[in-house]
Amino acid sequence: MASGRLERIFWGAGSLIVVFYALLPVAWIASLSLKRPADLNDNRFLPQAVSFEHYRAIFQDAQFPAALANSIGIALVSTLLAVMLAMFAAYAIVRLEFRGKGLVLGGALAIAMFPAISIIGPLFNIWRTLGLFDTWLGLIIPYMTFTLPLAIWTLSAFFREIPWDLEKAARVDGATPFQAFRRVIVPLAAPGVFTAAILVFIFAWNDFLFAISLTSTNDARTVPAAIAFFTGSSRYELPTGSIAAASVVVTVPVMIMVLAFQRRIVAGLTAGAVKG
Amino acid sequence: MAEITLHNVTKRFPDGTSAVKQASFTVSEGEFFILVGPSGCGKSTLLNMIAGIEDVSEGEIRMDGKIVNDVDPKDRNMAMVFQSYAIYPHMSVRDNLAFPLELARLAKREIDRRVERAAGILQLADLLDRKPASLSGGERQRVAMGRAIVRQPAAFLLDEPLSNLDARLRVQMRTEIARLQRNLGTTTVYVTHDQTEAMTLGRRVAVLRRGEVQQIGTPRELYAEPRNLFVAGFIGSPSMNFLPGEVRDGRLVLPAAELALARPLRDRLHGRRSVIVGIRPEHFHDASLVEVGNTDGAVVEAEVDLVEWLGADLYVHFQMDCPAGRMGALPVELEHAAKDANRISLVARVDPSSRAAEKERLRLWLDASHLHLFDPESGENLGG
Repeated sequence: MASGRLERIFWGAGSLIVVFYALLPVAWIASLSLKRPADLNDNRFLPQAVSFEHYRAIFQDAQFPAALANSIGIALVSTLLAVMLAMFAAYAIVRLEFRGKGLVLGGALAIAMFPAISIIGPLFNIWRTLGLFDTWLGLIIPYMTFTLPLAIWTLSAFFREIPWDLEKAARVDGATPFQAFRRVIVPLAAPGVFTAAILVFIFAWNDFLFAISLTSTNDARTVPAAIAFFTGSSRYELPTGSIAAASVVVTVPVMIMVLAFQRRIVAGLTAGAVKG
Repeated sequence: MAEITLHNVTKRFPDGTSAVKQASFTVSEGEFFILVGPSGCGKSTLLNMIAGIEDVSEGEIRMDGKIVNDVDPKDRNMAMVFQSYAIYPHMSVRDNLAFPLELARLAKREIDRRVERAAGILQLADLLDRKPASLSGGERQRVAMGRAIVRQPAAFLLDEPLSNLDARLRVQMRTEIARLQRNLGTTTVYVTHDQTEAMTLGRRVAVLRRGEVQQIGTPRELYAEPRNLFVAGFIGSPSMNFLPGEVRDGRLVLPAAELALARPLRDRLHGRRSVIVGIRPEHFHDASLVEVGNTDGAVVEAEVDLVEWLGADLYVHFQMDCPAGRMGALPVELEHAAKDANRISLVARVDPSSRAAEKERLRLWLDASHLHLFDPESGENLGG
């Protein structure tokens, strides 16, 4: 019994430390964003008085709402396209025998390993020539390139778990290959689809490197890049409060998304398909 | 309802192996046809080709005379039950049953009517709103059957539908399937590796081995007149005993006995000297319980290894000395190879009143009128 209690304490304390360590900076940012501008340097962890002044300030500025719209739009479009493409690619890799299958998977992995910084320069020049510089598409394309491999790998792992008999059954039941895919395979791979979607979305949402290099105006600048352009209300004032407020604002959608999809990412969705 | 005809159907895989070789047979309208064979014999591949899930490499498959080789599975109007049941886990039982009907774009009311009816037939009415995960194995099996019957298909294709059930449920569902098929009168092709299932269910049975059809016939024909050693050994439980035999002066010499060969059988040997003799376990009798002498036969004496008492039957296992090498290569193929090359294990099915006991000597009378003689080289039955 004693060892059982000791073990519980050990695990409980461990979890607490990890959560505390991970959430402390977040709490600090949240606290900063709620302080009055004059209190920013008061050396206190909690704000003396809660004020939404910084939030009001960032939304009054034209820059931030535009950047927020860009972020949401670019991240959603990238996610949608990457997941759709990855779904078809992963399905083909799992279900079909074709030449160069290993090459596709290996190539995808290689792309995922590629350091993004090394292509920024050339990409900047190409995008300027093609007119993709400072456009949504100009960011969506690299986001897809870098997230597709991960999405393909994740999804093919999920597709591999789905018994092939289910697809055969659907085909014999009168489904076209696409109907079998849409009505049987995709619903069963839903946890995988959501996992892949979250990964792609977070990558696109958090990206700073591409956003800062390939944009120049409010047309396509996303929040992480826009924050870097924040200025204080006077040249003697640091934009600490605004940055903190903007950071909180961009963290919330990701949290909501993860929490919302967490319920969908349930293991054992395929339980009962075949003899278990 | 449909007649299914296979003509020289062959399946070759890209790596060059042939799963099915030149299979030809006709399943007539409303017939219950069984494909049976050990695992890896190509029976499931054959069924998948009939369903259209796998391509036919050579030959043709016809339904009601029309070649369907290139018809998409969805347009063949066949229903299939898989060994794994393949119930859609994200749909309720009702949605599972309705799925093929929705794909066929039936009216909502017609779908409901048919689902209710199928659920009634298979006693699924109380389970309609459950998810497959909460069903037992037997219930899942019934859902899979239900999904097949709602469509009123041209043919049922069943791929080892009972092999995941426990023994008692298997016997129960076996009768259920037989009754269902008789009531619906739908052409059915049933794949199994279990010869008991094949014998009890099928109107006609095709025995497959390594992709080749060995024999097609009624269960009775397969049992009484097996065409070759493989069919003889595969059909029947416990399986047929095989002994090397030698023909000398019109008499058949066995390792432990000698008996006269009937005239018609002798004529078919065409001067062959060595044969393989097949004896069904029930054609051994406890010598003390039969009146030896009124029919052809011989008495064999052996030490009993093991006695299995099953109530209505008594299985007596015993061994016989046999010079090595006389069985040829065939017993190896049959997986009847004795552990000890010089001894052969045999089984006799005797009357339960027999006093046979382990480690004691027993005199068995061998009924010569039911012997099967096989060619040791080709394995062909010489009697039939």
